[in-house]
Amino acid sequence: MSPVIPPPVLPEPMPTPEKTLRRLFLTLFLRGRGARGLNRQGAPKSIGEKLALTLVLYALFGCMALFFLRQPVFALAIYLHAMTFVFLGMFVAASAGEILFNKEEADILLHRPVSPQAMLWAKIRVLVEVSLWLAGAFNLVGLFVGFGSTGNWRFPIVHLVSTTLEALFCTGCVVLTYQLCLRWFGRERLEGLMTLVQVLVSVAAVMCGQILPQLVFRLDHVLNVSEISWWIGLLPPAWFAGFDDAFAGSARLNSWLLAVVAVGVTAAVLWIAFNKLAGDYETGLQALNETISPRLKKKNHRRWLDRLVSVPPLSWWLRDPVARASFLLTAAYLIRDRDVKLRVYPGIAPILIIPFVFLLQNPHHHDGSNDIGFGVPFSGLYLGLVPLLGLQILQYSQQWQAGDIFRVAPMPGPAQLCHGARRAVLCLLALPMLLLTGLIVWLLRGDLSQLILFLPGLIALPVFALVPSIGGHGVPLSLPPDAAKSAGRGLNMIGVMMITFILAEVAALAWTQGWFRWLILGETLVAIGLYSILRRALAKMRWPSAE
Amino acid sequence: MVIVLDRLTKQFGAQTAVNALSLEIPAGQIVGFLGPNGAGKSTTLKMLTGMIAPTGGRATVCGYDLQREPIEVKRHVGFVPESGAVFESLTGLEYLEMVAALYGIPANAARARIKQFIVFFDLSFETLTDKLLGAYSKGMRRKVVITSALLHNPPVVFFDEPLDGLDANAAVGFKTLIQTLAREGKTIVYSSHILDVVERVCHRVIIIDKGRLLLDGKPEELVAAHHSGTLEKLFTQLTGGTELERRAEDFAKTFRA
Repeated sequence: MSPVIPPPVLPEPMPTPEKTLRRLFLTLFLRGRGARGLNRQGAPKSIGEKLALTLVLYALFGCMALFFLRQPVFALAIYLHAMTFVFLGMFVAASAGEILFNKEEADILLHRPVSPQAMLWAKIRVLVEVSLWLAGAFNLVGLFVGFGSTGNWRFPIVHLVSTTLEALFCTGCVVLTYQLCLRWFGRERLEGLMTLVQVLVSVAAVMCGQILPQLVFRLDHVLNVSEISWWIGLLPPAWFAGFDDAFAGSARLNSWLLAVVAVGVTAAVLWIAFNKLAGDYETGLQALNETISPRLKKKNHRRWLDRLVSVPPLSWWLRDPVARASFLLTAAYLIRDRDVKLRVYPGIAPILIIPFVFLLQNPHHHDGSNDIGFGVPFSGLYLGLVPLLGLQILQYSQQWQAGDIFRVAPMPGPAQLCHGARRAVLCLLALPMLLLTGLIVWLLRGDLSQLILFLPGLIALPVFALVPSIGGHGVPLSLPPDAAKSAGRGLNMIGVMMITFILAEVAALAWTQGWFRWLILGETLVAIGLYSILRRALAKMRWPSAE
Repeated sequence: MVIVLDRLTKQFGAQTAVNALSLEIPAGQIVGFLGPNGAGKSTTLKMLTGMIAPTGGRATVCGYDLQREPIEVKRHVGFVPESGAVFESLTGLEYLEMVAALYGIPANAARARIKQFIVFFDLSFETLTDKLLGAYSKGMRRKVVITSALLHNPPVVFFDEPLDGLDANAAVGFKTLIQTLAREGKTIVYSSHILDVVERVCHRVIIIDKGRLLLDGKPEELVAAHHSGTLEKLFTQLTGGTELERRAEDFAKTFRA
């Protein structure tokens, strides 16, 4: 009998920091960074399900590509890349700050034997990977439309390559922006800059993806790459559309030029961001770990806020000491707290852009007369989303456990806290946005009298601002950030958006039909009724049990 | 010398957190690193673990220069930060295996070591595998952080308030653990505000204030030299913690008024 030879024992592979970090950051992204679930099954499932739902929604939204059936490749590609650019730009801008420069992470990882470059690469890989999932879901239908329109089997492959390039370009741009800020403005100002960068990148992505392609189609009637103006070559989505057209479409000289720009600029951005400036990343991480006390700055904020609440009309509006304290707390977080700023400002920035798109679309009536159209009332009403979104986001904070002090304090319910937060959001977010939108309307339409069409929005604003407080919600900074992605929040938003659309249509109709003043009267009465009901319900609200 | 600090300095803008600190610590010593709030203790520890960059001076750990060979320094140190931060959406086991992987320890070897720590800290394996760290109590989380600092068997370990959140039994066990580690040649730097523990456990005490070295020596010798009776009294003498009773009385008076 021959002896049984045991199978050779293979030495266990040594784990590499790069792989470990990539897996870690992907897990953290999918589960959320501060999951408070009690068991292992709970947390990943919740985020995984949300991601799956998001991908399905993206895929459904991608069905809009069906309108481009039988159109030239360039027209389809510029639409797909413009929309992809918006989604990726917004996603990367919203996630990059949290993923790249996480303050808590410093205490866990910075003393481990891992180079900053390895950390940066692992994070970038995760960002690109998730970007590609989103882009893939959105472009899925577009791939078939392109194939069906052209009969060219290369289109799906070429479009996948160009979309990957676009994802790399978006990620590279955001990382590059952070690193350039670090290099030019220094580590001391990194925290403040990160918020600004995110807001600017979000706005730039929406501008580039929404407004400019609309201009392209409106002004240039672009269906074919040979007909485009030179300035279209300045828009990143056009480069990637050119790539598609070069390899799977008309293959004209313009497309090849755009394709070369797409590859060249992406390579340059990646090289500068991940090679040339990678050393600055370590500086940035260390900066977040250093405790610098911007004493003077904070003092100024405080003085400014104190002055604000001690003069009429705010002093009249904030007579209740609890509402006043809540106002000051909310205002301080809106001005100082990086975590809150990173979520609030990029969140509300696109709200300003969407009405802008409608204003651009509707300057004149079809018969040539100067009509107000849908844009102006819609812009006013859409402002209602600012307090709604702002208050919803402000409920969440990394210091949510400190919110226990509200329950310990001798208050029967959260009403006055909600009122203070609501007033802070109305003063510090909604009012500046209103002024800015008014300025945009005036600049675009050149007619101050059209601002009267903001009235339906202004009347609805106090009611919209009370919606987040329904059911005792709306207490500032009292919930963990991971709870922020609940379905309820989305439903509120969709509900208010639908009301906004309907009211804007009715207002535009009322203006043209001559019964605008009756609409205002009716809306005022309904708003007063709803406002009273909501306020009374909020006053009766008692603290729910803190499980 | 395992740790050498030569005029190590850290400035945050115009504020000097650590001011030309010079020290030498040999192997196998447990050093109590003390100072009032804002003295520069955590900043010094963060510099020695490569988490923040010094603005002046130099330091070596296990012979590796902090600024020229930061990765080697990190490979040779373990650190329990004061915050006790962990990735809350990982289970305890996932977290410890992730940390082990960063030091190049294969999963099976890591798991064997983790099991030893589980026994030591009286944790159940199920807790480590089934619960996310976000659901752990503060003490349990602290045990995981301590385990993660020792998993790669570092010759130098920095503890910043390690007993925070630990129950009495775990705290006693921890003190025994660091004494055992020191006997085996590991260098322990122990920063804490619980001075009686420092007095009992540490071979040497370093007191800093406003980033500068105030005292350095054996606890019993320092106490005897300053006729203070206990390390706690010596500490308050040196760092301005005087007239505490009068201040407490003044504080209470404000409520009476």
